[in-house]
Amino acid sequence: MADLSDIVARVKDALGSSARGDLAEIDANGAPLHALSANDRAELATQFGHELKSVAGDYLGICRADEAAARIAALAAETGVRTAAIGEGVAIDTGAIATALETEGISVLRTAPGVDADNRTQTLRRVADADMGIAEADCAIASTGTLAVVSTVSRPSSLTLLPPSSVILVNVDRLVRDIAAAVATLGANEIANHRVTLITGPSRTADIEKRIVLGVHGPKSLHVLIVWPRDE
Amino acid sequence: MAVSPKATDFFAASEAGAADHELQRKLESASARHLEHFAEVRDEFTPYENERATARAIKENALGRLDELIVELTEKLTDHDCKVFFAASADEAREYIVKLATQCGARHVVKGKSMTTEEIALNPALERAGIEVLETDLGEYIVQLRGEPPSHIITPAIHLSKEDIGELFHEKFRVSYTPEPEKLTAEARTRLRESFLRADFGITGVNFAIAETGTLVVVENEGNGRMSSTIPEVFVALMGIEKVIPKLSDLPHFLEILARTATGQKLTTYTNFLRGPRADGDLDGPREMHVVIIDNGRSAMLSDPVLRESLMCIRCGACLNVCPVYRHIGGHAYRSPYPGPIGSIVSPSLIGSSTAYLPFASTLCGACKDVCPVHIDIPRILLHLRWKETSSPAPPPWPHDAHRARAGARMFARLARYPRIIRFLGHIAAVLVKPFAENGWIGSMPPPFANWTKVRDFPAPRPGHPRPANSAGKSIRNGRS
Ligand code: SF4
Repeated sequence: MADLSDIVARVKDALGSSARGDLAEIDANGAPLHALSANDRAELATQFGHELKSVAGDYLGICRADEAAARIAALAAETGVRTAAIGEGVAIDTGAIATALETEGISVLRTAPGVDADNRTQTLRRVADADMGIAEADCAIASTGTLAVVSTVSRPSSLTLLPPSSVILVNVDRLVRDIAAAVATLGANEIANHRVTLITGPSRTADIEKRIVLGVHGPKSLHVLIVWPRDE
Repeated sequence: MAVSPKATDFFAASEAGAADHELQRKLESASARHLEHFAEVRDEFTPYENERATARAIKENALGRLDELIVELTEKLTDHDCKVFFAASADEAREYIVKLATQCGARHVVKGKSMTTEEIALNPALERAGIEVLETDLGEYIVQLRGEPPSHIITPAIHLSKEDIGELFHEKFRVSYTPEPEKLTAEARTRLRESFLRADFGITGVNFAIAETGTLVVVENEGNGRMSSTIPEVFVALMGIEKVIPKLSDLPHFLEILARTATGQKLTTYTNFLRGPRADGDLDGPREMHVVIIDNGRSAMLSDPVLRESLMCIRCGACLNVCPVYRHIGGHAYRSPYPGPIGSIVSPSLIGSSTAYLPFASTLCGACKDVCPVHIDIPRILLHLRWKETSSPAPPPWPHDAHRARAGARMFARLARYPRIIRFLGHIAAVLVKPFAENGWIGSMPPPFANWTKVRDFPAPRPGHPRPANSAGKSIRNGRS
């Protein structure tokens, strides 16, 4: 059986004396976050909404932080949700959302602060059985309508995978222009230390005669609400 | 699944493919739709050409220091508690995975889409060990139910119509027949969801491995890769050595071009960044994560200065969609998990000498080179492989007529030194074939030329044009006229 040194030796041999250029530094071309004005943000939000719709996502628009809970509870009630699964937020207080849902008579499964290994399979099943999963994204990409979710103990990414309806909130400060800016914003540390998923629209397939069908394995619908934290 | 192919199989299968007009209709319509979407997203994305060039430069650079990058990646993955295994050959990779699955008592294996697992013929080996293995990409699931290999690297069931799939589900699941993609997909979702929740072992391929951060990137639309790497307790990622890229900031350049060329999307639905097993208290991810890094002919490709370029491939599948040969005969005819232009250049190295004839299955029209997001010069590599193949001491087993073709080519080569004789013979030939011409084409001739006209039509010589333009495949011309 081969080991690291065998493989490296084979590769080294194969490369022989061929030139090995320097590692070219290729810059991420995204603008840094703090350089954005309120206008820029509004513009990014509009672009994000447009792109999200083009991948069959449901763009719920922008709302103030104190309105988010009511908006989501209303959406859940409208779409006939009976159980919703929710984790902790990144910048947004999801406790308020959970309370608003319960007021609507919806039962809430809280995944924070983490699971016990013995209960893992059961918890996965319960998340999968929920009608709606609610999570906050760490960052959103305007040019592609993408949400980046970082999985942690209190914010498992299965919330955005297993339930048929997925609701993702994102703080307007966390909108970036393109993929490179998102990767730079998340940073090498975050990515080296967590599972990260970029989500662009509901789960989809084109495997049958190239016809697009939503909700193969992941959510059939994806609703995104942008939260504007300040009065501006 | 890696059947042991023979050259004669290829000729038989490609003739069967070429005769199947229904297959061509499906391939034409799927390819046309793909190319239309691709053109749209490419045209509105002005940095496309720049991104292409950058992506290629990164790959070129990465391949040049692949040994260092593999060491760096391995260190990082090991730091993340991954178990990294190196496989020199397909056999070693397969044995490792089967042994691992057996040792952890796996009973239900779920697989995300992975061409490399096809390369090592993993499924039959797992099944022989008494382990159920389920393909979960919808297209792969469909072809697995039919007991067939995939026929396209991006759209595995491209050769099937919705009616074919409707009938398949009706027969296998005893559900009422429907050709509606929505209903068929819903049926598959229900069945596969249950399988995911009880799966104990997951396997996926890898699109990019970032050395700097020790991250494996898996891109997909359905969520099968995400499920396979999230739910099962044990997870294996299988990757070729060439998948390594140096830095995190290199990745966006590939993401910007991959989905555009592969499916005409800006970005695939899911881009998964996997780093290792889950931490205490985590819900998502495996308890144990293994990364199998496989050579299986790749280092030999690396050592060949012409062939090396083929290791830059990001498996977007676009070259299949533009290839007149692929569109004519379909993926199964190639008798390799890697069909189409890219398959013709990598199969001889990755699958073995049984596919040595594939570099000859091309018209060298160059469409693949133009569409390739990383500018791989596929025609040049095809010629290089043809040259290598014919100058090797044991050329591949050709169908019985090959020696005659070779003798003919040798004679032509000798005559070609005398242009006047060639021109003279050309005139004689033009007169001789005249009676066989019809509407400007020669569709059939008596032996010994019958073999030629069986698969090709020949443009009838016109006065002043003794040398006809390249002939086209039979029904390509029929389609045009
Ligand atoms: S050779 Fe180029 S076009 Fe073909 S699959 Fe690879 S990257 Fe895509």
